[in-house]
Amino acid sequence: MARKQECIAMLLAGGQGSRLGILTKNIAKPAVPYGGKYRIIDFPLSNCVNSGIYTVGVLTQYQPLVLNDYIGNGQPWDLDRADGGVHILSPYQQIKGTEWYKGTANSIYQNIKFIERYDPEYVLILSGDHIYKMDYSKMLDYHKQNRADCTIAMIEVPWEEASRFGLMIVNPDGSISEFEEKPENPRSNKASMGIYIFNWKKLRQYLIDDEANENSGNDFGHDVIPAMHKAGERMFAYQFDGYWKDVGTIDSLWDSNLDLLNPKVDLDLDDDSWKIYSRSPVAPPHYVGENAKIENSMITEGCEIDGSIDFSVLFANVKVEEGANVKYSIIMPGTVIKKGATVQYSIVAENTVIEEGATVGRSPEEMENIEDWGVAVIGNGIKIGKDVKVAPKAMVDTDMGGEA
Amino acid sequence: MAAKNVLGIIFSNAYDEVIPQVTSHRTMGSVPFAGRYRLIDFQLSNMVNAGIPQVGILTNSNYRSLMDHIGNGKAWDLARKRDGLTILPPFNHPDTGVFKGKIDALFGSIGYISDSGKDYVLITDCNVVCDIDYDALLEFHIERNAEITLAYARNVKSQLASAMEYEVESYGRISEIRYADPFGDDSSNSLKMMVINRTLLERLLHEASLKRITDFEQLLSENCGNLRVYGYRHNGYAKVIEDLKSYYDANLDLLKPEVRRALFPADKPVYTKTSDKVPAVYGINSVVKNSLIADGCRIDGEVENSILFRGVTVSKGAKVKNSIIMQDTFISENAEVESVITDKDVSIGARKKLCGAENYPVYIGKGINI
Repeated sequence: MARKQECIAMLLAGGQGSRLGILTKNIAKPAVPYGGKYRIIDFPLSNCVNSGIYTVGVLTQYQPLVLNDYIGNGQPWDLDRADGGVHILSPYQQIKGTEWYKGTANSIYQNIKFIERYDPEYVLILSGDHIYKMDYSKMLDYHKQNRADCTIAMIEVPWEEASRFGLMIVNPDGSISEFEEKPENPRSNKASMGIYIFNWKKLRQYLIDDEANENSGNDFGHDVIPAMHKAGERMFAYQFDGYWKDVGTIDSLWDSNLDLLNPKVDLDLDDDSWKIYSRSPVAPPHYVGENAKIENSMITEGCEIDGSIDFSVLFANVKVEEGANVKYSIIMPGTVIKKGATVQYSIVAENTVIEEGATVGRSPEEMENIEDWGVAVIGNGIKIGKDVKVAPKAMVDTDMGGEA
Repeated sequence: MAAKNVLGIIFSNAYDEVIPQVTSHRTMGSVPFAGRYRLIDFQLSNMVNAGIPQVGILTNSNYRSLMDHIGNGKAWDLARKRDGLTILPPFNHPDTGVFKGKIDALFGSIGYISDSGKDYVLITDCNVVCDIDYDALLEFHIERNAEITLAYARNVKSQLASAMEYEVESYGRISEIRYADPFGDDSSNSLKMMVINRTLLERLLHEASLKRITDFEQLLSENCGNLRVYGYRHNGYAKVIEDLKSYYDANLDLLKPEVRRALFPADKPVYTKTSDKVPAVYGINSVVKNSLIADGCRIDGEVENSILFRGVTVSKGAKVKNSIIMQDTFISENAEVESVITDKDVSIGARKKLCGAENYPVYIGKGINI
């Protein structure tokens, strides 16, 4: 039996993230690179550690190889511990048969035994889809103060975007009076962040009941939370102020990376009191050549830059040759952009080669019809041949242009 | 796989006195180098990349920064149950006291050396920066049935009084070990890296202790004739750091692509302690040319022919040229520095101008505000 923990975290990392298209063809969404040296999952993991939560179960299902490898024994986050630490929880074979995780709630249901090893008072449910820095220990204090059964983290979103979110109507005392799932005419702009704290004993019973209910979709948002609300459990909303972004779509992933270059955006990753940890690449500092021109950009270790870079985020070991132009783009690890190539308004995934003179993406101003504009995406390990043109909004997952 | 039968020993303090500015508060091993490394990282990585599983680091003084850097050896995969990394602080032996020389240092750790049970001991300093193939050196040692194999290179002449050169015969046999003539022709220069059979090392140390020999070089030289001593030639890049100028030059050498390729080959990484800094951020109007920039830097000014360590800030209008700027240095608006080495946490005030010469860089000590 493991030592008792007051609160443990369960991180839902099994989703495919299909709206990221070819970027999640071979990796789970939480493993998608972000911000020059991170992956999305670094944010919830670092938040846990910085909040003093050292027992984290990571539920994986879709393409877990890269994610499992990345998390490893948890050492980069100080989660390689004798007591607690990070645990990868994949669906497993049981006597009554083998089941995939049918939904978010079912994935926790299937791991009740894991949670019970730690006999926690509270369970924090997180997802691996968002970029944000949050102190979960303050949310837990709030949960305890209210003697709540369930506390849901909430953020006020702009009214015009509210209909894209699961919304809550909140009483003056912070308790939740109503839920609205992506309503056409929102009555609230308080959106659920998909972060929940439950009293474990309560949640356990609801998970068992939910499993027994054949009509349930076994999802927290659709099934478990409404069931608790209907039964009159004490449910509270915990307000979060600060940067929070769902990076589940190409546009939002692109935006959120470029947010790092905007001094007005409230997301400081260079904050010693709240570090975001990651598994660092082993590479020397980046080299900037004699003819390079770099402005408004983020560049990390192992890069060799001889071309010009503007408003872009470059990950480890990217090479940009002389005369190449990179603008408003996200270039993931190990990619090479050769002489005279132009990459703009694009996301280029890992270990891609853009040959000489190729052009990827276009700026919105150049478009005759703005409807045709969008961020161009090049998949993992793809080769874009010499002088090939890749249209804006394209998603390239096969090599283009044979000979280089 | 012979490497698993090797104990590595690194002298972290050797030659501290040659760059007193930079080593006044740290060991030679923990001297910052190449934007994110310490000198010892190169020797540790060479050992680990060759598959050597056990390393002892001999320290003498000022080793707190070294201990902070090394930790439990995790960054080099040397935090292990079996073998792994050990820091060997001065052992206050009634006979030895604090080390007087390398022989004292080794003799103080003779228990550690013999307990390792390894057949071979690899002994090195850390003021030579190179990517040397210890696996090949070891293979050479075994194949020649040598008792001692000394690594050497051509064209790396050192001006230090303790610099050694070898007379290498055909088939690699060394017939003479002597102090190098600083004005002589190019010769086979010692890299101060050697493999020695462990039982022989133990015997020599006991003998030296009885004869009161404290000079390691003298011990080798005296025994050259009656032992099977061989020389292994390292053909790649090697740079000796022996004064502030050579330290400055060795850093700036990294701006050459061939030197970066030689020191950081893709298949043999140089490991170091990670700091979890954000990637470097370039602001509007930043101008950077021919420079090496580490993570955590924030650049709004101009940087040319320079090495910026982690967390350096170059503010708007500031100019940095031909300089080595160590960790967390802050260069304020419109300040200008040229041919300068700033140690950690230096702060250069607004509009201040500092200029050394390329053959005589100005050194600014740790934490100084200008």
